[in-house]
Amino acid sequence: MGDKRFKATSIVILVVLAALWLLPIYAMVNTSIKTQEEVAAQKYLRLPRKVAFKNYLTAFRALRVGLVNSAIITIPATFICIFLGSLAGYYLTMFEFKRSQLVFFWIVVASFLPYQIVLIPITTLIGWLNLMNSYVGLILIYVILNIPMATLITATFFMKMPVTFQEAAALDGCKPFMFYWRVLVPVSIPGMISAAILVFVQIYNEFLLAIALTRGPKIKPVMPILAELKGSQIAQWNIQMAGAVIVSLFPLVIFIVLSEYFVSGLMAGYSKE
Amino acid sequence: MKYSKAYGFIFLMPVVIAVAVIYGMIIWNLVAAFTIWDGMRATWKFAGLLNFFNLFELRRFWVNVENNFLWLFFFIVPTTLLGFVLAYLFNSLRRAEKVFRQIFLYPMALAFIVTGTLWAWMYDPGSGLINSILGGLGINTAKLGWIALPNIAIFCMIFSAFWQYVGFALVIYMGAIRGLSDAMIEAANIDGAGHGRILFQIIFPNVGHGTLICTTMLAITTMKVFDLVWIMTGGGPGIRTEVLPYMMYRMTYSQHNIGMGAATSIVILILAAAMVIPYSKWAIRKWVR
Repeated sequence: MGDKRFKATSIVILVVLAALWLLPIYAMVNTSIKTQEEVAAQKYLRLPRKVAFKNYLTAFRALRVGLVNSAIITIPATFICIFLGSLAGYYLTMFEFKRSQLVFFWIVVASFLPYQIVLIPITTLIGWLNLMNSYVGLILIYVILNIPMATLITATFFMKMPVTFQEAAALDGCKPFMFYWRVLVPVSIPGMISAAILVFVQIYNEFLLAIALTRGPKIKPVMPILAELKGSQIAQWNIQMAGAVIVSLFPLVIFIVLSEYFVSGLMAGYSKE
Repeated sequence: MKYSKAYGFIFLMPVVIAVAVIYGMIIWNLVAAFTIWDGMRATWKFAGLLNFFNLFELRRFWVNVENNFLWLFFFIVPTTLLGFVLAYLFNSLRRAEKVFRQIFLYPMALAFIVTGTLWAWMYDPGSGLINSILGGLGINTAKLGWIALPNIAIFCMIFSAFWQYVGFALVIYMGAIRGLSDAMIEAANIDGAGHGRILFQIIFPNVGHGTLICTTMLAITTMKVFDLVWIMTGGGPGIRTEVLPYMMYRMTYSQHNIGMGAATSIVILILAAAMVIPYSKWAIRKWVR
């Protein structure tokens, strides 16, 4: 009986909290389709009387180049990270390698340190390589900084593969790279997707390096551009929110459609199992 | 038979190079912090602790340190606690569990820049969402400046990060609680232990690894908070919401004082290493067969 009451109470608590957690995104989307007059009336929770899609046009016009830049930078960087990181994850989990514990230690530490610690060297290095304000420079840096995480997540999934698998393959004369490409990757597709989502979101949402390594709008990824939009559209909440929705659309869709992968990626990257 | 390591070592090389570059840059940064800088130009003369002394003399630095500690406490404790309690309450949900998990987790997919844009609007004293709702309830909001009030601005900012990260704590604890044996909780139930006791005296001591992961990851997040400060307040009012990661950027790129910027980043390095290294020692066990 007490149990039933507890259940009912916990469901009530959860529903109330869930409503609070949804409120910001509801208000964000709702406001993004309102006209300036309706926004000025400040009844943010009321549905719009007139839907103003032109907010999205205004915001999109400002963000377009940034979105393209982000795609040009984030997609290749993610693929390179996952490919190179998973090769290392393969080596570390499936080969006879005594030092793997030590290597893992340094990889884990590297993947969690804040970027501020290497910010000055990065800008200097990129300057020397003449890659300031270039796609290649940003991709290079994002790959270097995210490979450790990609290695950790893929390694976690590769650990699930029984060692006997590759022992049998080795006996059959299957070369290591063939084993990686023909057996390990196809079997570990869920793990690869999880790792890719996490790395993708991380790079796409990154801001510090995106402003430190770019000058002017030509190469700038979308996050700094959204920050600029916020600065230029003061109190134009509908435009600001439309911009925020546009920028979040892609990560949110990935998150909703592939949430199982997102969660298992989080678990693989951070949790015990 | 396992593959011989010599053949496959080439697989490991890209990561070894990347990690070597990262640590190389950390050492470089260390050298920079002990070098006399002429604005943006390094003289490469040994400065001893000069940059650090200059930094420690600034009141601004100590305000930043204090703010970082406010973040550590007021971000980590509530986020971990709510995540943990939610994970327990989730047991009552069964089929709706996934939907609710999504609701608490979706902010994790948003960028700090988006969260900051959104919450800066919510907190706006004149035309923000929170004050408009409170005003609608007949509450006089004239004195509720939220993010504009020096004394509570930083807590408002921490709250928006709390909103974003509760889902993370929830997912970690859901995994940890699932790993516990049902028999243990059943037994406590039969003994007539209340839910509060079950939660904090039986489950909590047994999900230590979950707590370690949560607190460490959230602690590291506090050493990275830059975007949120940039977009919400720019460190203001005054420097009341400034934190070390933000000051480091400002010192280096706005004030062109690389010596002090590098010294700040070394302070961040020391604080972050104190969090990351013990965690890493524990975490690597899962990857070693």
